[in-house]
Amino acid sequence: MTEPTAPARRASMMETVQTTDGFLRLAGREFLVMLYTAFRSLKLYPVENAQVQKALDDLTAATTHLLEVERELEVRLQGEFLFVNSTRLRLDLDNYASFSHILGQFRQCGVGAVRIDEGVDRRQLQIFVSLLLSFAAKEASPNKVFELGQKLSDGGVTHVSVEPPLDTDEEVEDAERQKEAAKRTYARSVAVTKEVVSSIRMGRSANVKKVKRAVQAIVDQVLNNEESLMGLTTLRDYDEYTFTHSVNVCIFSVALGRKLGFSKLQLYDLGMAALFHDVGKSRVPLEVLNKEGGLTDEEWRIIQAHPWLGVLTLFGLRGYGEIPYRGMIVAYEHHMKNDLTGYPKSVRARELSIFSKIVAVADGFDAATSRRVYQTVPIQPDQVLKEMWENPRRGYDSVVVKAFINLVGIYPVGTCVILDTHEVALVHAANADVSHVHRPIVRIVAAPDGALLHPGTVVDLAQRDAGGNFPRTIVKVTDPQKYGLKISDYFV
Amino acid sequence: MTLLSKGMRATQLYLPNNPVYQRAVENIRGAFRHIWQATDDLHFDVGETDLRWEGAVVYHQEQKNESIAWTLYKDGVRSLLFKPGVEDQEIVGFLRVLHLAKTLQADAADDLLTLLWQEDFQFIAYTFRELATENAVPIEAGETIPSSSPSDVRRVVVEEAPPPREGLVSIDDFDTTLYFLDDTEIDFLHKSVEREYAQDLRGNVLAMLFDLLELQTYGTVRAELISIVENFIPYLLGAGDFRSVAYILRESRTILQRARELIPEHRQALEALPHRLSQPETLSQLLQSLDEATVHPTEEELSELFQETGPDALGTLLSWIPRLTNERVQELVQRAGERLAQANTAEVLKALASADPATQFEMVRVAGRLKLPGAPDGMGKLLETGDRALKMAVVEALTAIGTPSAMRLLENAVADSERDVRIAAVKYLAARGHRNAFPSVEGAVTGGKLKNADLTEKMVFFEAYGSLAGANGIPLLEKMLTPKGLLAKREDPETRACAAMALGKIRSPQARAVLERAAQDKEALVRNAVNRALRESAA
Repeated sequence: MTEPTAPARRASMMETVQTTDGFLRLAGREFLVMLYTAFRSLKLYPVENAQVQKALDDLTAATTHLLEVERELEVRLQGEFLFVNSTRLRLDLDNYASFSHILGQFRQCGVGAVRIDEGVDRRQLQIFVSLLLSFAAKEASPNKVFELGQKLSDGGVTHVSVEPPLDTDEEVEDAERQKEAAKRTYARSVAVTKEVVSSIRMGRSANVKKVKRAVQAIVDQVLNNEESLMGLTTLRDYDEYTFTHSVNVCIFSVALGRKLGFSKLQLYDLGMAALFHDVGKSRVPLEVLNKEGGLTDEEWRIIQAHPWLGVLTLFGLRGYGEIPYRGMIVAYEHHMKNDLTGYPKSVRARELSIFSKIVAVADGFDAATSRRVYQTVPIQPDQVLKEMWENPRRGYDSVVVKAFINLVGIYPVGTCVILDTHEVALVHAANADVSHVHRPIVRIVAAPDGALLHPGTVVDLAQRDAGGNFPRTIVKVTDPQKYGLKISDYFV
Repeated sequence: MTLLSKGMRATQLYLPNNPVYQRAVENIRGAFRHIWQATDDLHFDVGETDLRWEGAVVYHQEQKNESIAWTLYKDGVRSLLFKPGVEDQEIVGFLRVLHLAKTLQADAADDLLTLLWQEDFQFIAYTFRELATENAVPIEAGETIPSSSPSDVRRVVVEEAPPPREGLVSIDDFDTTLYFLDDTEIDFLHKSVEREYAQDLRGNVLAMLFDLLELQTYGTVRAELISIVENFIPYLLGAGDFRSVAYILRESRTILQRARELIPEHRQALEALPHRLSQPETLSQLLQSLDEATVHPTEEELSELFQETGPDALGTLLSWIPRLTNERVQELVQRAGERLAQANTAEVLKALASADPATQFEMVRVAGRLKLPGAPDGMGKLLETGDRALKMAVVEALTAIGTPSAMRLLENAVADSERDVRIAAVKYLAARGHRNAFPSVEGAVTGGKLKNADLTEKMVFFEAYGSLAGANGIPLLEKMLTPKGLLAKREDPETRACAAMALGKIRSPQARAVLERAAQDKEALVRNAVNRALRESAA
């Protein structure tokens, strides 16, 4: 991602909206698709095959096209993202398979970046692709990328080189900056949601412009650095539950949408609908909403009315230039369940919207993992995921749940775990390499001797030691309250 | 920047196909191409009244309503970056957004930043400052205060550690390839998103509202829902979504049938919906907006709507037909009106009795086109009181309809005060051989009514006499054409010529013989008429 040329350190109040270079996005995407085609062809057919030859021709043409403009070509992996000459390529449903395959190939070879410069020819690209394929099939080792580099050199490939992944101070600084940006976005979104809901309760008009800005900021943040914002969903504020919950559902939904390849504007539509999914609760008496203990039938009926009350509320939301149809549909449908056996009941034919399915999953997860008046002990995230995945009576769409589990990991951010070293840790982020889905990035918060640590140390459970072994492994999920831990303190 | 400023003004004032607009845009593109020869990007710092490039002021405008800088600055933009390629498409979009932002009200749902975001520019970047803190409570890190001693923590860990709890989701459940969706699932998602964006959003929301109306029995809730539906209708009409309006009217009927515990007040409100739509004021608004629209509904959609509004829309539709300027819309409304007329005789009569001449006129024409059998009942009065054009239209319609009641009215029209009306009526009656008209025609021919009539009218009446009288009319006509005896009254040449033409209509040997005897008449007019009659009778 390129930043506009600006003074080195802007004041923290400034926010930068980044845009990517149009040519690089298009040409870069084309290059990667051609590379993917070449991989697949070479994997399936001998090199003399016409299909393979064509694939290599196309790859060469795409490479040449890029080099004519850019003079050099660098493809770099950073987390789940692919960058071509510092321009991040967006993943969508059309290039999903090709990008994922390339990421996988690179990771399996330990490659963090590939450089190609002017002078590369078809022969060198063919050797590069073939070597990458054969190395990807080998056992993992820390030296793989260097061996690959040597092989390239031995094969006379002088214009293509490979590098291991970067781990520099620049990345750490960027992570900090992203974290601060995420905190600002989160705080602002909660404040805006609170303002809107309070306005509605008092019958005043709501400032929809602010809501739009908040959702746009969430979309930008998810597109730039989703981890930072996801971490803040652990801020499940008991007192401000209504507002933090709406923001959390918005974040989960947008992140899930991104995972599913939605475009930026589609993510915005989804985010707006998600933020307002529970707006109907603004018409539910607070004493019912916050009641401790069981609800009477009448009270339960009132709570169950909040989806359609949301539709009525949105109709009355003055300040909206146009009627928020999608928001109404999501507010109405998000408790209906995939088979429409939920609530409210439907008389006329209805097919659940994909947006409603996404918000339903995000809503269910956040609600179940939060402490509420009626749920003083939140359910552990992994239990919630298991229930969503295994129990069809919960009514969640299985593809969406699968995507959600892939998003949050088997151990979602904020899960408290015990390691085989008798350390206690909090899951900090899902491992970008899904082949290590059971080895997330964790923050050690209690040492083996029982000493509580703050802020603790972040470790990647997928990292091997010098002997090629994993120094730490999760043995169990546990309740953080047993250790007096407040999870959100470790994410801000 | 000057070119950009001029370009902005041009895009505000002119349409894209205007040469001034096109020249302005081309100038901007040329300027950018020139710039890219010297630099890889163009970065501006945004101030209240000026834009700076590398510290130097390159644009300055004190007047805020004219200022690009102020438009950017007031919504928080603090820097702007243009990259090569911006001149192709995005710069025009950028100017459009700037113009739109300038015109937004303070309480609008958008501002410059939300508009810029939605454009998703690839060659334009900007930084902005959030101007309002939104009462946001900053998120600050807390410090966990250990409530357990290290030894307690250690003990709990050791107790808990083995064995693994069943709550773990099995890793075997998940595909271990990097990305998790298979082709079927990707296809499912593709289709789901396509369906999401292809769906009829309004229809979906309306279905919700009617489900609620049907199932929710609380009076206050129903009242609110009905109010929403009522207020939604003008919005839908304005958006040209007639199908949805038709849906509302149809579903309202369903609610009236199916909803439980519907109180009288709500029942009345729902029953009144079609009538409200057919009210002249509401319908006139609709027709006006239709006429002005660039995209029109299909005939099916419009018919669906008018079918639901009910027959009392007919009068208003008809009154608007001559006023509509758009041919397509006129055609659509005409057809919709015809459908309504065919199904609703009572409304046809009402329209014929309308106080609005335009409505009457159109109804008469429609009735004639459709040959509506019930229409003549409402046309009699029009023949008595209408103006010439209306009467002519009535005669034409009655002619087309041709029922006994239509013929009776035409008989009356033989004596109408308007010449053209008389002529048209007589012609038709004669052509139909309508004997009932004979007395009036005979009266005109033998009496003095035609004395001051022009030749054309006389001719029409005499020819009609000939057609209707047949051979019985020969003596009278012969007497007029060739009077015998010195003291016999000699008619004027016009009358005699008319008598000849009348004989031509009889087409019998006797009539022919009379004509042949008069073939050498001294009067040229008579002679010509006789010869013509002879030719016609031979044909």
